[in-house]
Amino acid sequence: MMESSQQMVADRVSASPVFGNGERANRLKSTRFGGKLVNDYWENLFRAKEQGKKVIWYNGTYIPPFFHSHDVAWVHGEAWAANLAARHDEIPAQQAGEARGYDRELCSYARTHIGQALLDRESLDNGTLGINPNGPRAALMRKLPMPDMIINAYPYCSTGQQWDDITYRMFGKKIPMFTIQVPLLWGGRPDAGYIRGSEWRQRSKYVADQLVAMTKFMEEHTGRKFDFDRLSETMGFVKKAAELRLEAMDLCTATPSPASFFDWIVSIAPVNFLPGDQNLVTYFEGVKAEIQQRIAEGVGAVKDEKYRLFFDGMMNWNKVGWLADKFAAVNACVVAGRYTHMSFWQEPQLIDLKSPVLGMAQNYLVCPNNHGAPIMIGEIEKICDKFNIDGMVMHASRTCRGMSNSQFLIADSAKRNGRQAMFFEGDVADESFYKDELLNTRLEAMIETMDARRRLVA
Amino acid sequence: MPDAQDAISTLTRIAEDPHAYAESWKRKQQRKVIGTFPMNFPAELVHAAGALPVVVQDDRAPITLGRTLMYEFYCGYARSLTDQAATRKLGVFDAFFLVDHCVALLGAVDAMRFELPEQPVFLAQYTASMDEEWTPPEVRKKVESLQTQLEELCAVTISKEALAHSIRVFNRNRQLLRQVYDLRRSGRTRITSTQMQMLVKSSMVMDIEEHTAILSGLLQSLEKERATNPNLVRLHLSGHFCHGPRPELLDIIESCGAVVVDDDLYTGFRYISTDVPELGDPVDALTRWYFDRNTNVPCATRAQKNVDWESYLLQSLKNSGAAGVVVLMAKFCEPHMLYYPELRKALLRSKVPHLLIETEHEGLPAESIRVRMEAFLEQVRRPAATAAA
Repeated sequence: MMESSQQMVADRVSASPVFGNGERANRLKSTRFGGKLVNDYWENLFRAKEQGKKVIWYNGTYIPPFFHSHDVAWVHGEAWAANLAARHDEIPAQQAGEARGYDRELCSYARTHIGQALLDRESLDNGTLGINPNGPRAALMRKLPMPDMIINAYPYCSTGQQWDDITYRMFGKKIPMFTIQVPLLWGGRPDAGYIRGSEWRQRSKYVADQLVAMTKFMEEHTGRKFDFDRLSETMGFVKKAAELRLEAMDLCTATPSPASFFDWIVSIAPVNFLPGDQNLVTYFEGVKAEIQQRIAEGVGAVKDEKYRLFFDGMMNWNKVGWLADKFAAVNACVVAGRYTHMSFWQEPQLIDLKSPVLGMAQNYLVCPNNHGAPIMIGEIEKICDKFNIDGMVMHASRTCRGMSNSQFLIADSAKRNGRQAMFFEGDVADESFYKDELLNTRLEAMIETMDARRRLVA
Repeated sequence: MPDAQDAISTLTRIAEDPHAYAESWKRKQQRKVIGTFPMNFPAELVHAAGALPVVVQDDRAPITLGRTLMYEFYCGYARSLTDQAATRKLGVFDAFFLVDHCVALLGAVDAMRFELPEQPVFLAQYTASMDEEWTPPEVRKKVESLQTQLEELCAVTISKEALAHSIRVFNRNRQLLRQVYDLRRSGRTRITSTQMQMLVKSSMVMDIEEHTAILSGLLQSLEKERATNPNLVRLHLSGHFCHGPRPELLDIIESCGAVVVDDDLYTGFRYISTDVPELGDPVDALTRWYFDRNTNVPCATRAQKNVDWESYLLQSLKNSGAAGVVVLMAKFCEPHMLYYPELRKALLRSKVPHLLIETEHEGLPAESIRVRMEAFLEQVRRPAATAAA
């Protein structure tokens, strides 16, 4: 019996059921530099206290240029949870959260972060965690520096704001906390539109004023004056990197697409939470150059690209490589996505480097789910037209209501515009919600439908 | 108490079919009916504009067409809203107003915009973080914008006097409902949880002056009662934001040998906890009310450093003499899911027995809940034995 099951395991090359043609994604090589930058970032962070730096825990939008310009260290809760999920280290943290009473239907970012950072650590210290206290995972957990300040700047999602409130409470209300409201752009006024109208102007100023107040908060808790010239300098790198990123993305209108959504997914860290320095520019110069080279050579992100797809929803961080290969195995290139193509310094031209705060506020406001559905869907359709998209893949991320709101409306719009749409179940950081075989059958069905439609047109 | 029963029956009938009441009111009054969403909208503004404010309730009907607008992993209230929009049950409303910041509610209301394009949906998103210095002026701006939008919609000008009058009218109603709560806590009257919910829900959907008139009569009857329930376990019901728990569930809880003496449910004390200041500028007063409510009965949907829901809850237990807490949590309610461990920790620390019951829009595992309730009440009755175990 034992031999037989061992043989069965040996016969299977992976846990994946047989699917597709066996092709794998042709991922960009230049993004490996990002892996180094991310590792360097975490290693620096782990040494922050030794270096005498104050540590800020924050959640929400990409405000680290303010932290970088003030020489403090920062921990992005979502990035930490995603990092654990990508390393497949998230499950004990989530179990620790459940043991405290967090329901598994709750945002898995929040319960992974809280579970890992606070609960596991407690258990680790008192010896009840159940993992090897001398193992690499325990060592990693011990490295995460505890906060000196908490800052919340969460667009759209109410849970994001409450998550930091709970963190504040779990630290006994002893850590100074600052909250920035990034209000939803509802788009109800007659002059409303994408980055225009009176609502846009009022909200831009409202957020910018709060960002300036945040610098006062940091001054108060570090005893140092905030240097706005330094912020301009930092934003010079960020703006340049953002421009390069968008230029590289635009090159993916080529057929075959030289890069895929999954390459842009692994390129989020530099524009989301890494330090704003020359490395960001170097990273996206490398990405753009490789993309240009691929175009010159006619090389695609997917071999024999036949279908071009759009990915809607939050990323399933446990499954980045897995999903990249999944789509490649049916010759489908996921060319663009809402999470990657509608956020992370998406409008760099709004940033005036002499006075960057207003433009930064505006970039925070255009987070991909911070528009009311009518305007947001209009922007998605523009991207789909631009990249000549055949179909939409809707990731129903179970515990992320912020990115799953409006997905049925987005799919309806896609269908009205002649595109196929399919849904699959998963989650941002809780792998147990992912259903591989359902994705397989639905993806196969969508591919067949797109084929049938093409035959009909031909 | 025949008079009391008549009053409760009347209010129950209206609470169970608020759209029929609103249609009848609209026919008679020839004025607009405005749908509002939980949990912080100031109904006084709509009243002052001459329209009927109605907190849109969840509908008992199973979710059907709404499934094409919202996933099953959203709370029952949000899903019911989209379903009612998709099945065209919201035709009585001339417009909808929302001030709250809940990601599920925002998603539901956004979907409603698509389903009901002829019915305007206004959002004036109140800041949910209460401590920042810009929050009060920002909320005040939102109150002003609500007033402006209502004036345009109803083609009226809302005078300060009219708004002050509306504030007084709503305060009077809240005060009467709180008197019912006082009687209930004292044990002088036996108002069941279902009846209490109907009294509060009817106040959310009715002409407030008509509601007050019925409620006044009811209170006169209740004050004559001298009900005592010495053998029943006194309980507090906690949680359940935005919509009411099913009456069947409340009946099970009480049928197991308990009497509910207090609650912090939205369709309960949370809704009527706080009056609007009657002196000074009425827009200022409505702004102040938003903050006062969260101080009086803290809510997990707001971030406020100097208040805690659990502290409020423990104090309420002292005031009412409740010996245990039943936490009613609507499945997929993120604010409640995220805050619950704080409540749990405080209750455990204070050795207050509590039971968490999760509710769903469809389906009620009645026997399972009954067994859990019976076991829970045993635990409450025998704390020493439980501690020893």
